[in-house]
Amino acid sequence: MADDRTPTWEDVARVYGRKIYNFAYRLTGNPDDAADLVQEVLLRVRKGLSSYTPGSFDGWLWRITRNAFLDGVRKQKRRPTSPLPEDDRNVLATSPSPDEVLASVRLSEDIQSALLKLPLDFRECVVLCDVVGLTYEEIAEAIESPVGTVRSRIHRGRKMLRELLTWPV
Amino acid sequence: MARVKQSRSCETAELVSAYLDGQLLPGELDTVVTHLGECADCIAEFHQLKEVRAALRTLPFLEIPEHLLPDTHPGELLSAYLDGQLDTSEHDFVISHLDFCTDCRLELHELDSARTAIRSLPGLEPPEFLTVHRERIERERWSRRRVVAAGVGIAAAAAFVFAIFGPTTETGDLDLIPLFDQHQARVSVDSGFNVIPAFAPAGESP
Ligand SMILES: [Zn+2]
Ligand SMILES: [Zn+2]
Repeated sequence: MADDRTPTWEDVARVYGRKIYNFAYRLTGNPDDAADLVQEVLLRVRKGLSSYTPGSFDGWLWRITRNAFLDGVRKQKRRPTSPLPEDDRNVLATSPSPDEVLASVRLSEDIQSALLKLPLDFRECVVLCDVVGLTYEEIAEAIESPVGTVRSRIHRGRKMLRELLTWPV
Repeated sequence: MARVKQSRSCETAELVSAYLDGQLLPGELDTVVTHLGECADCIAEFHQLKEVRAALRTLPFLEIPEHLLPDTHPGELLSAYLDGQLDTSEHDFVISHLDFCTDCRLELHELDSARTAIRSLPGLEPPEFLTVHRERIERERWSRRRVVAAGVGIAAAAAFVFAIFGPTTETGDLDLIPLFDQHQARVSVDSGFNVIPAFAPAGESP
């Protein structure tokens, strides 16, 4: 999105909604939480746009998205968690692309469950890089940390994934 | 290979991911490429990380559930579109939206029909509900005249009225009812009136 104008929240929803949803889905592994997060992010965008000063829009948006996610995680920690039933998980993984070959569905499930085992700091960097497609600079803005931190977290996050995918727990 | 480092904590290793992502800073590229030429551990790590990165990128990019997106139908822009009153970006938005949204195509079609119908209306008789209203006023005026005429109380005048209008005493209505019927008949024939029922408030039809 161009940096010289303030988009409307509808623009944001249209252009970024799907990315935010995928970010949320890969971080949470669950469509309901992902949908909640998208709604929360769009609400915050709507409120925040009035005070948004044209600049790095991506940095601003992903900072909001990431903070909304962390707030959600904090809230969730306060109430007892129950793991997603195994059946549900299968439906989720297969519903997005019904014609996908079984092998790759299996692979997506494995990757998704491995992602969920990563510590949050690493998971968010890996997802922002490999799912959302942000540059290290943009990720650094989103998580409000130096680029060196981003680089190290992506590297170590991928190494952990490698271990998890080679010897699934 | 010049030498093989045994250490798993090779400093350059951390640059391998950034290298795969094309996110190295200027000057680092040479360091990494040179290092990869001489460190077996980092070459192994390079291949493993490349696999993981590729696997992550095979995750399907899911569609966002439609209900999470705002209602972005053009709405009132459709009328302005028909009237050629949109600016370029609005026009582009409407055109591209109509491309996939059958609801809006249907709405546009309906708006277009209504617009054409309105524009093709001839110089019209007033709508029927107005006519009925005027008729009531006129009927009352006639009745008042009859009262005035009766008040005069002249037998000759009464005889004169009888001679002109026949045996009925409902003199005023006799003239107006056929007029009203004629009007009704014309409404049902004149195609220009056909669009009216769609726009007239409910309960106004004959
Ligand atoms: Zn090395
Ligand atoms: Zn539409």
